[in-house]
Amino acid sequence: MNSTETILHLNWPSKCKAFAKGALAVLPLTIAVIPWGILAGSYAVEAGLSPLQSQAMSAILFAGSAQLVATGMFKLGAGLMSMLLTTMLITSRHFLYSMAMRPQISPLPLKWRLLLGYLLTDELFAIANKNKGQRFDPWYALGGGLSFYLGWNIASAVGIIAGANIEGLDSWGLDFAIAATFIAIVVPNIKQPSGLLCVLIALVSSVFCELLAIPGGLLISAILAMGLATMYAKWRGEEQ
Amino acid sequence: MIWLSIFAMAAIVFASRYLFLEPKIPLRLSKTALQFLSYSAPAVLTSIFAPIVFIREEELSIGLDNPYLLCAILATILAVSTRNALITTVISMAVFFVIN
Repeated sequence: MNSTETILHLNWPSKCKAFAKGALAVLPLTIAVIPWGILAGSYAVEAGLSPLQSQAMSAILFAGSAQLVATGMFKLGAGLMSMLLTTMLITSRHFLYSMAMRPQISPLPLKWRLLLGYLLTDELFAIANKNKGQRFDPWYALGGGLSFYLGWNIASAVGIIAGANIEGLDSWGLDFAIAATFIAIVVPNIKQPSGLLCVLIALVSSVFCELLAIPGGLLISAILAMGLATMYAKWRGEEQ
Repeated sequence: MIWLSIFAMAAIVFASRYLFLEPKIPLRLSKTALQFLSYSAPAVLTSIFAPIVFIREEELSIGLDNPYLLCAILATILAVSTRNALITTVISMAVFFVIN
């Protein structure tokens, strides 16, 4: 794929239409992430961050799973070095996303690359990487990414306010929203036996690592699942 | 210290998202590498949510008394049958908040 396969919008109505289409495509995930955003906001306040710092986690860091883990580490008074190493581990999947999006995004001008790179979450990746074979539309991706950014930050703000005012918010099980969101992203995209194998290996391995408190279990499980699924697909001669 | 941590973590997260979007970073991917990468989202996302669903109080919980597991199964059934992210998430979360 090269730069000629990027959609060029010549006028604003056409850009706005693509932007709205992207926002609409990510909307289910924006809604699903609301409880998770509330959790992130309220948990940050509970861990002792100021409201401004709590909002900055969502506005600047903008990474749900990294935020939750980092907040837990703030609470425990962890050192900066261990926080950064943990962040690197959790965020490592984004290396994979940016590699996967490289053919579409790297030919774009710098401001587009920076913007879409900043907004490249699991959710944006899920909608932008879906239409294989179709031309890449930067405005569609921007609509998805920016609307999701807004939703995440509004939900976090609600959590920050609620966390300061509602007792026992942590017993509501808001973390189920993480599971629901990721199931909604993962399951419909399983299209081949190797994809199913990948999910099952990641599932068993990550639960196993967590039970044994193996550090880096997330990374180990993901790479194991990806490697075995690739080998299986090669062996079976699956078509991509 | 908190501010420094937030900015340092944000720098790492942004670097991980941007690195391979930069055309000056040399990277030529083989077909096998691309196939390997195509599994990154399901592998990583499953590795994040599976412990949330299957582990309660640091122990494996695969019984009917685990609302996370019941609702995750419901979400999976909804995702397979409807292929609709909104229906999947909203219904499974609603049921979860009712029974939890």
